[in-house]
Amino acid sequence: MKVFIADTWWVCWRELKHLQRQKIRIMLSLAQPIVWLALMGNLYQRIATIPGFPAPTYLDYMAPGIVIMVTLFGGVFGGMSVVWDRRLGFLQKMLASPVSRSSIVAGKMLSIAVQNGLQALLIFGLALAMGANFSAGPVGVFPLILLVTLLSMVFAGLSLALGAVLTSHEAMIAVTNFFTMPLMFTSSAMMPLEMMPHWLSRLARWNPLTYAIDPMRELFLHGWNAISIVQGVVVLTLAAAVAAVLATNLFKGHFT
Amino acid sequence: MEPIIVTEHLSKSYRGHILAVNRVSFEVYKGEIFGFLGPNGAGKSTTIHMLTTIIRPTGGKARVCGFEAIREPHLVRKNVGFVSQDIAVDEALTGRENLALQGRFYHLRTDVILHRVQELLALVDLTDRADHLVSTYSGGMRKRLDIAEGLIHRPSVLFLDEPTLGLDIQTRHRIWEYVKKLREEQGITIFLTTHYMDEADSLCDRIAIIDHGQIVALGPPGNLKECIGGDLLSIKLVPGRWDENALQRDIASLPGVEKVSPGPDGSFSLIVQKGESAAPGILAALGEMGLEIQSISLKRPSLDDVFLYFTGRELRDEGADNFHRTNIALRRARSQ
Repeated sequence: MKVFIADTWWVCWRELKHLQRQKIRIMLSLAQPIVWLALMGNLYQRIATIPGFPAPTYLDYMAPGIVIMVTLFGGVFGGMSVVWDRRLGFLQKMLASPVSRSSIVAGKMLSIAVQNGLQALLIFGLALAMGANFSAGPVGVFPLILLVTLLSMVFAGLSLALGAVLTSHEAMIAVTNFFTMPLMFTSSAMMPLEMMPHWLSRLARWNPLTYAIDPMRELFLHGWNAISIVQGVVVLTLAAAVAAVLATNLFKGHFT
Repeated sequence: MEPIIVTEHLSKSYRGHILAVNRVSFEVYKGEIFGFLGPNGAGKSTTIHMLTTIIRPTGGKARVCGFEAIREPHLVRKNVGFVSQDIAVDEALTGRENLALQGRFYHLRTDVILHRVQELLALVDLTDRADHLVSTYSGGMRKRLDIAEGLIHRPSVLFLDEPTLGLDIQTRHRIWEYVKKLREEQGITIFLTTHYMDEADSLCDRIAIIDHGQIVALGPPGNLKECIGGDLLSIKLVPGRWDENALQRDIASLPGVEKVSPGPDGSFSLIVQKGESAAPGILAALGEMGLEIQSISLKRPSLDDVFLYFTGRELRDEGADNFHRTNIALRRARSQ
């Protein structure tokens, strides 16, 4: 176990070093949510006037949605680093060493979670500065970040599983793009479940995104809702664990 | 001599039918430089990947450093170093960070890592550039760093997959020097693959020639060349009216000639004992038969000829060049 934790940390350390040294990635990850908040907040402003819309302004409704969107996009491309590592031979180097296979998956998942957690914190701050309302008070930021990191691990795990099987980054981008937007639109990130067509809202109940967005939105709009938070954390933890096991097994099956 | 690697009928097939490595059996002795020589796709890398436990064999057995590669992969991993043909160093890290990270992957203690990193940087002459990002390194520097990384845990066997692929001549010679130094100073057993004849010839104590997943010849380079049975004399005759079969028989009966094979356009390839002294007599005899000679060449057999002798084909490099180009393109793509 001690070895697993150490291995995971060093795999993660390498990924974070990459991020730290790629200034353009840091800058874009800051700029992107600002653009989205400004664009979407204004574009859909009048949706909030539709009777039955659950928030006073669309920004209030959308702020958690943007956090989720950024997390989703960050997570789904997590497997790309494996495809690169394989191409460059770094993966073989790791596989020839005694590093545990599950640590390669866990380390990469962790690095994405750290990245997305920090980014979410930042968007949260920005949304508040732009006038969004956060009902849960300062302590509410902890469950918020917890949900974000769990969600990013779910998608990073799935993406790593894909990366264990697909050997080209072109295929990886194609498959990822195919799934990302539908995932977004079959969740309550942009529209409340109550305002969706019936079949779509049923689909949304199976989407892990919904289990992160609903409790987060509660925190923004109504304050603490323990049931919703616990439900979200449990579902996402299970989903992340399943994704991690799946990715690790595909890794083992594919390489040994 | 004590064997440190033993394989028995080691095989790897993909999707059930493509046999990349076909029942290969050989031994590598402690402290030797052992080379796998063969064209691309012959099964060299696949064999290395099985011995380093990166991929699982589909048949046969392999013992490395006293451990079974299939049943005890974790014990094999601790005892061997692996340097892939890809120059797999992390460009976003410094040389020192790359080495230290590798030490972490091998679960070494922090103080041991600090000490060894220093030692290895000096070994491959990278101390001055240790704290620069690898993206600023030349190809040769990267390869040296890569080899140093394979040594961080003091392995008893170092596997080098195409260690000089795509490097310029000076850099190649420098890498050879490091490899020899490692064996002499640290007594490490080195298993390398190459498709460069000169590399196999000047570095290896013993060579296995591998083609289509099978070992076709194995021994010290000198012995393999002796298999051919003499020197190679090529003769090209001015076109005339002579019968090829009769002439072949006549040439074969000349003193010193071991074997004659006819080639295109009136050329003949001869294997001749003590070529330098036998050649004048052979040429004179041909003159007496009334044949006019257009050109001749005489040479000692090289490993190229050994390869041709055992496989019936020449060892070509085209595939390697394409492969190398792809790799360079990839590296560029990453550094941008």
